[in-house]
Amino acid sequence: MRANFIFSEVWIGLRRNLTMTIAVVVTVAVGMALLGIGLMINSQVSSMTSYWSDKVELSVYLCKENSPFEPCTDKKGISEEQKTALEAVIKGMPQVEEVIFEDSATAYKNFLDNQSNNVFASFLKVEDMPESFRVKLGDPDQSQAVTEELTGQAGVSNIVNQRQLLDSYFGFMDKLQWMALSVAFAMVFAATLLIGNTVRLSAFNRRRETGIMRLVGASNVYIQLPFVLEGVIAGLIGGVLAAVMLITSKVLIFDSIQNFVPEALGWNTVAGIISGTMAIGVIICILASFITLRRYLRV
Amino acid sequence: MIHFDNVTKVYVNQNRPALDHISVDVDKGEFVFLVGPSGSGKSTFLRLVLKEERPNSGAIHVAGKDLSKLSNFKVPHLRRRIGCVFQDFRLLPNKNVYENVAFALEVIGKPRRFIRKVVPEVIELVGLEGKAHRMPDELSGGEQQRVAMARAFVNRPMILLADEPTGNIDPATSIGIMKVLDRINRTGTTVLMATHDAAIVDSMRKRVVELEDGKIVRDQSRGVYGQAY
Repeated sequence: MRANFIFSEVWIGLRRNLTMTIAVVVTVAVGMALLGIGLMINSQVSSMTSYWSDKVELSVYLCKENSPFEPCTDKKGISEEQKTALEAVIKGMPQVEEVIFEDSATAYKNFLDNQSNNVFASFLKVEDMPESFRVKLGDPDQSQAVTEELTGQAGVSNIVNQRQLLDSYFGFMDKLQWMALSVAFAMVFAATLLIGNTVRLSAFNRRRETGIMRLVGASNVYIQLPFVLEGVIAGLIGGVLAAVMLITSKVLIFDSIQNFVPEALGWNTVAGIISGTMAIGVIICILASFITLRRYLRV
Repeated sequence: MIHFDNVTKVYVNQNRPALDHISVDVDKGEFVFLVGPSGSGKSTFLRLVLKEERPNSGAIHVAGKDLSKLSNFKVPHLRRRIGCVFQDFRLLPNKNVYENVAFALEVIGKPRRFIRKVVPEVIELVGLEGKAHRMPDELSGGEQQRVAMARAFVNRPMILLADEPTGNIDPATSIGIMKVLDRINRTGTTVLMATHDAAIVDSMRKRVVELEDGKIVRDQSRGVYGQAY
């Protein structure tokens, strides 16, 4: 095997088909970058889901005097006996792991800690804050059932299921991920066709050479390898560009939302995703080249 | 060296066979003319020897190998032992004489030192010494055909197939081409040449196999092109 010879053939092929080569590089780059971003969102979402699942609570708010909520019809607020009874009911439920009572003062303090809106804070008083039971569940997936069971208990004004708040957020991330993945799929499809076309053009441009190679008894590998390598090199360049885009998006997008998400996307995950997408890009290039060569370069 | 046993070849979508129950033997070192009008099956014969086509029936042995038992994987190795020359030369226009000849060795993976040694020898053998760095379009038709012969012979094949090598060349130059073929034949290479050129066949006095409508109508040692001409 003469590496020099093969590489000079590859170089000639890439240069003669410069426009097609650029098209392949760009489609592979964009396709692989979108695939990578889809995978990055996926890993971000799953790490956040597991983080939040441990922390998901039900907030069971209790009726106060003149509480506007529907269940608090008597406008008198919850009595001490009702409170004790309710706590016993909650503690008695098998799904419940821990119950914490939060009184108005604590609620007010927590509210002030979390709020930057001073105008809002200035006219809120301690008495305005509702009391609540913070219920932590053993299995966060049971939150719906527990919510339904506690709704309608005496003295319960309303129940906020944090799970539902998270679900709408995760649902959004999920849609984003699927959008990226489906665009990536379309790009990969386009890239496959483009590579096929490039290889076909190359084979046509060099039909004289390949004809003579056939005649003097060059082996199939020798005849086909330059064409396959052309596809692979274009795919690799595309993969490198995709890697650059993925690193940029990690730095610009994923690191910037680090403040809002508890678990940032690690460089290890990004490296794994980059090598994965590169491998996929190169494999697609090899397959597309081979399939095309079978049709246009009979040996 | 080449052995056809009752070989029939029918192309798809054609009723008349291109070759019809042909049996012929060519020994090592022979020089054989394959003559006959266009469409008589000369080119099909050569394509069958190269295993570019498969016969519908009959057995073909080339260089001791049964072609029907030769896997596709091994066809390149068969072709390395067969040199080919065509009417239209088939040179690479962007490579010079030396590079055109060296190409045939490069693509079968021969080491560079070997190529540097044998290519000038072969260029000299075909009578192109001093023209190694000319481009094909700077050469006459006869000279281009010499390059093609150098390329076909550079790997020292056991068989040289020539499909109307003088078809594009004037009679005076053709004599030179035939001298080169004769020189190649004298090194022990079997030469099989398909041709229309009566003058050449008559002057060489070699074995003549005449085909007509896919059948052998004459096989004559030290023959001429044909009585009728």
